[in-house]
Formats: sequence, C-alpha cells, structure tokens
Amino acid sequence: MPIKRVFHWQPNAGTTVNSQLLTEVSQCAETFNGVREGRWKPNLTFYKPMQRDQTIPADLPRDFLGIALPEQPNKYFLVIRGRSIVTEADSTIQVIMEKLQSYKSRISFTFEGIQYQLGDFLLRVGKVVPTHSENLRGIVMEVEYLPISSIEKGKVIMDEFFDLWQEALSNRSLPGHFSHIDTNFSDFGLSDTYTPQHTAVQYACVMAQMIASVQSVQALRS
Amino acid sequence: MECVVQGIIETQYVEALEILLEGLCGVHKERLRIHELCLKTAPNLGVVASEVRLLCDLEQPEPAWTVRHIGGAMRGAGADQISVLVRTMVESKASKTVLRLFYALGYKLDHELLKVGFSFCFNRGAQITITVASINKMLKLHATDEAVPVTPGIQLVEVTAPASSENYSEVVAAMTSFCEYLAPLLHLSKPGVSTGVVPTVAAAAASLMSDGGHTTL
Repeated sequence: MPIKRVFHWQPNAGTTVNSQLLTEVSQCAETFNGVREGRWKPNLTFYKPMQRDQTIPADLPRDFLGIALPEQPNKYFLVIRGRSIVTEADSTIQVIMEKLQSYKSRISFTFEGIQYQLGDFLLRVGKVVPTHSENLRGIVMEVEYLPISSIEKGKVIMDEFFDLWQEALSNRSLPGHFSHIDTNFSDFGLSDTYTPQHTAVQYACVMAQMIASVQSVQALRS
Repeated sequence: MECVVQGIIETQYVEALEILLEGLCGVHKERLRIHELCLKTAPNLGVVASEVRLLCDLEQPEPAWTVRHIGGAMRGAGADQISVLVRTMVESKASKTVLRLFYALGYKLDHELLKVGFSFCFNRGAQITITVASINKMLKLHATDEAVPVTPGIQLVEVTAPASSENYSEVVAAMTSFCEYLAPLLHLSKPGVSTGVVPTVAAAAASLMSDGGHTTL
C-alpha cells in the first residue's frame, strides 16, 4: 500500500489548539488545489487492565491501544507502544477482548476530518476528539503518496511535500506547526514496505505525543 | 456459536475413516498441523480468570495465527436433550506478534499441544468440518519438531459447525444425521462425555478397506 506520514499539531508555548486552526489548515489545503474527497474517521481506544485487587502492583501496559482504520473495516489493530508491539487482527478480536474481561475501554478518540486529493498525494486533516464529545484535543494530518510503497524510497518526496506545505502554512502565521515523529518501524518488526500496521504505529505515537504535550501544559499551569 | 461433538478412534482404523469421509464429503482432505497454545490470565488480572487459545497453522507457507475464545455451553433442558454441544466461540485471525501481545497483556502459557492429522470441510445442511488428529505434547517449550503423542495409538475426531441462536437446531440436526454415517467406526458425543471405541470398528474398517468405501455401511 502507499506510504503515509502522520503529523500532529504542536502548539506554540502558551497556546492551545482550537477549531479556527483546523479551518485555516483546511483552507490552506484548498489553496493547494486540493480536491475534497470525503470524510476521514479512524477510531482509537485506550484500554486499561481490570485488576481484582488494585493495590497489588503489576507490570501491565497502560498504553494498550486498539485502532479501527476506515480503509480496513474488517480489521482491528492492537498496539502497545512501550513494548514495540503491533498486531493486526480481524475486527472480531474486539468481541474476544470483551469476553475475556481482562481489559476495558478507558477512553476513545476519533480523528475526524476531511480528505483532499492533491495530484498523487492524499492529504487528510482532522481534529482529535473524544468519542461522544466535541472537545477538541488536537489536530492531526496524514499525507499519503500514492505511487510509492517503500518508506525509504518515498522519504525525499515526502520531505519535499512537507517543506512546501510548511511554507504555505507559514504565510498564515499560525501559533504552532505540524510535527512528525520519525518512528523506528523495525523495532515493531515492520519492514520498509508500508502496511496498515505502520499507520497504526504512527497513530499510537501521535497519541502519545499529544498526551505528553497536554500533560506538560497542565504541569506548567499547576 | 458453534456445534461440536468429539470421539476417538484407534490409529489403525484412521485410514478406513478417511476412505469413508472421502466418499461421504465429496471433497479432498486437507492436511492439518496446528500448534495450539492455551493462555490464562495472571492472578489478579481480569474480573474473572479467563482463557484464550492461540492456534498457529503450520501447514501454511507462512505460519498463520488465529485467536480463539470458547465460551460457555448452552444449558437447560433443551440442551440436555440434544446429543451435540452448542457453545459460544469467537475467532479472529491475527498477525504473528499475537503471542507477544498476549504475554505483554499479562497472559501466561498454561499448556501447548500439536494437532497433526487431516480435515474435511463440506456443506451438508450446515458448514461442517471434521478433523481427525493425533494430539501431541511438547517435551520442550514450543519444540513442535519433538512432539510426542499424548495417547499413542488413539486419535481425536472432532466435528464442528458454525451456528447462530436462530439456526442452531437445524445445524444440530444436520450434524446428528452426518454422525450416524460414521457410527460403525466411531461414536461421537459432547466433549467431555467419554464413550470410548465402538465394537463394530474392526469389521467396518475391514469392509471399507476391501472395497475402497463403496460398501453401504
């Protein structure tokens, strides 16, 4: 499948994300002659262990994430970022997890946005909102380059596209910038050929980054 | 949900059973080599202790993993009257990291088995799968190449069919009628209800072997 790179909005110190920012970014995509193609709505759920006795310490993951990708409706992706594990499963794994009653959903987020086509690129921009809520928690952007499925081979063109995009955005003097974390996919046992598992890993990294920046803002305030 | 019955047959009669099944099912057999790992929750994890099975199909060019959860059997007077066990069962295919994932989630290996044999999948009023396999244990962790039979000379026969709460009675009927064809060779019953081998097996097998399955049993 084509390579993708996922970015998150890094607000400048002292600023927060708001829906106006998302409007500006969407307008920018349209000035790139982006053709609106439809909606984009992946879903991410953090699970927490159900312990009979909370007082007994256990080495259980706190960052266990389940991801539903709209382009893979029959699949579900499970990621434990801290242990570098990604597993692709049928969507029935959710029923199994429910029946096992060992982990339960702590909080779910949706990336809710629009997809634009810009030549050979697909650009998706969306807000990060907790499911059943309108509270904006962040902004994510995903760039897909259709002709290439090798991450290494697509690196230069991705970098070039992002430079152009940053330049276009910089004209708008927005209080922050899009940031990308270079993920070492081989740590997760993934190869250079892009798969939906690579997307799941990138989403997990973006969520971790977003949570970390929210926590650091909260720490500064208190 | 699935419907299931099990039985046993001595290895010396498996070839006769295979001939009979080829005639009955009208499909070719598929070779079966499955490494089954049964995992259980560590103490304190989960509302109740739970168990999940990871099946690794070693017959595929690349080992293919499936997660299987077997739930409670249907209970009550209706369930007691039928000769087939109806239970909840959910399966999900998974990528090769699934064992590491469950270990990281706090599951521990309880036991592992290697099932070696063959299966037939066919449609006869229900999508029936019959597997005939020797059950082997590993003397060393995951050492599937050095597996030894748990019960030498005896193989497990299992008949399963997917069902739903709406259609399970038709599936039970289809399975029961299929199992009757096998009665001269083996008796099939609910898992856990041991019925042993049948006295007619030697004669029935000899008859099948002599004419390649053309005899009406």
